[in-house]
Amino acid sequence: MALPPNVSEAEFSTALDEFSAVVGADWVFSSDEDVALYRDSYSIYWGEPEERLASAAVAPASVEQVQQVVRIANRFGIPLYPISTGRNLNYGGAAPNTTGSVVVDLKRMNRVLEVDEDRHFALVEPGVSYFDLYAYIKERGLKVVIDVPDPGWGSPVGNSLDHGIGFGMAPFRDHFGAHCGMEVVTPEGDVIRTGMGALPGSDTWQEFRYGAGPSVDGLFAQSNFGIVTKMGFWLMPMPEAYLTGTVSVPRYRDLIAMVKEVNYFEDSFLTGLPNYSSPVTGGSDPNPALATLMENGWPSLEQVEQFVDSQDRPAWSVTLQFYGPEESVRAHWSAAKRRFASAIAGAVFEEGEFRTLPIAPEAEAELREKRRFGIPSLEAFTLTSRTALTADDPPEGHADLLIIMPRKAQENWDLARVLYELYTELDLPPITSPFSAPSPFFPRSFLRFILIPTWRDPERNRRSREIFSRIIDRCAEHGWGDYRTSPAFQEQLVGTFSYNNSSLLRFQEKLKDGIDPNGIIAPGRYGIWPAHIRNGRA
Amino acid sequence: MRQTTRLLSLSLLLGASGAVPGQTGPSEDNGKVVYDKWCIHCHGQLERGPLPGTNALALKYRGELPAILEERTDLAPEFIRTVVRGGLFGMPITRKTEVSDAELEDIIAYLTRTQAR
Repeated sequence: MALPPNVSEAEFSTALDEFSAVVGADWVFSSDEDVALYRDSYSIYWGEPEERLASAAVAPASVEQVQQVVRIANRFGIPLYPISTGRNLNYGGAAPNTTGSVVVDLKRMNRVLEVDEDRHFALVEPGVSYFDLYAYIKERGLKVVIDVPDPGWGSPVGNSLDHGIGFGMAPFRDHFGAHCGMEVVTPEGDVIRTGMGALPGSDTWQEFRYGAGPSVDGLFAQSNFGIVTKMGFWLMPMPEAYLTGTVSVPRYRDLIAMVKEVNYFEDSFLTGLPNYSSPVTGGSDPNPALATLMENGWPSLEQVEQFVDSQDRPAWSVTLQFYGPEESVRAHWSAAKRRFASAIAGAVFEEGEFRTLPIAPEAEAELREKRRFGIPSLEAFTLTSRTALTADDPPEGHADLLIIMPRKAQENWDLARVLYELYTELDLPPITSPFSAPSPFFPRSFLRFILIPTWRDPERNRRSREIFSRIIDRCAEHGWGDYRTSPAFQEQLVGTFSYNNSSLLRFQEKLKDGIDPNGIIAPGRYGIWPAHIRNGRA
Repeated sequence: MRQTTRLLSLSLLLGASGAVPGQTGPSEDNGKVVYDKWCIHCHGQLERGPLPGTNALALKYRGELPAILEERTDLAPEFIRTVVRGGLFGMPITRKTEVSDAELEDIIAYLTRTQAR
């Protein structure tokens, strides 16, 4: 069993007894078999000395118990690693940054405390999953919609604290951006409530984020400044109707104007997540002519344009999704057709799916892309577990890069080319082409997802690490930043955010020293180390 | 779909499901409840949408065995325990704060309900 750094076996054993006195012996996990359940299933260091492992786990059931656990950890100098549901797979799962940490498993704190269907918000504990919150809303027939991420078993608290994203309207897709109000156990065991939660008697904790004075909420995301025990989220009112409309444009360079128009609709809150694609590629039924075009490396712009002109399929499409009263969604689609037609010669329009909401329970099961309607599922894992392409050699998991880049067609093309060149250097089949479509998950930027497989085989993982690491650095050279990763790459990642001799990280370190003097909360998370380890670190 | 219905009807006819009053052993009925909460989002019927577990097993067994776990008659309890606790090919580890040991035994009772005892 791993021990916490600089803690003797006898001290650790005493600490575990004290944890048991707080949460009950059944909720302290210290056998090898039980601690193994806190490994990262998708670890890119699985079975290697560098794999980060917990020493034990403790599962408190209340904020008071969390406070007591934190105080005990302070006395013994034991690092704690809080998880909500521990299901942020490919971003580290339940496994800590520092081997020997005790995982604080908040899954038992699973109460939906409030859902207000008139003011459109929820207040939940960390152990509540998207499935749980959805079931709560559905059982009561509440007229609100959650913005869900891909993994329905994840937690709104955990997902937003890792800066997770969803699939709905711009104000909700950035899950941290849609939070309002937190309760946090500080590293010294105090409890704070942020924003209006600090005003006794206030009923606006989930309505007004700021309260008075500096807003500190951002400190508790992707970080190690406390343990969040409650969190509020803004919800979308249940729309009366849902409509999709697809705009297709003929020429390669039409993407420039298309992106500008889509940005207009996104930033005016007139569309939900826009889905870009390039029909000329054939999508899931690849156009063989594209392989010919790419035969001799990255083609020139003229070659690309000639290729598009020789095909009878549009260069680009975007599907807009409208939510609201039927009159509104039809008017938004009508406005979209007028604006795109005026901006891009030859644009064609196809009305897609129309539905009235709420979706009848018997129709729900058959829905594809349930996430569009705020219904949590695990559908997306179909693409990352065994697929037709990996049928005989499925990976164990994946490590994702999520590269943030400007919402401009040219940058989308530039990134596709840079990745193509890097993959060629790495002797890998390219994953990008001149027709790689942009994806605007965060409302004000494009995001390029890159999935790298992880294995239970150190040799193959070594190769995956090399690829992952090279992509972070190569993108950073161009000003494109990965924004989220597992502990295995957090040091490297924050190292790329190096403006002014990494003054941002140095500022965060000063905060760490003041807020967590014993350095017990998640040491090393996103590169923030306590002073006593910071200087000795390579 | 038809096969599942038949298996369920069969087990009802045989009286194999349902907790006996005073019984403290694993419960098939509760196993079904836990299965529907924790497993079915990946291992349900494909009519429910793209389901990664069922999809993966269809690719793995290519018709030789049912892709839907509830239709299997050959699952060994120890295998179920190992996969739930250890994960396998994209299916992650399930912790005891999520599915307790007792609930895991209930799942096993449910998934092995048609096997000779």
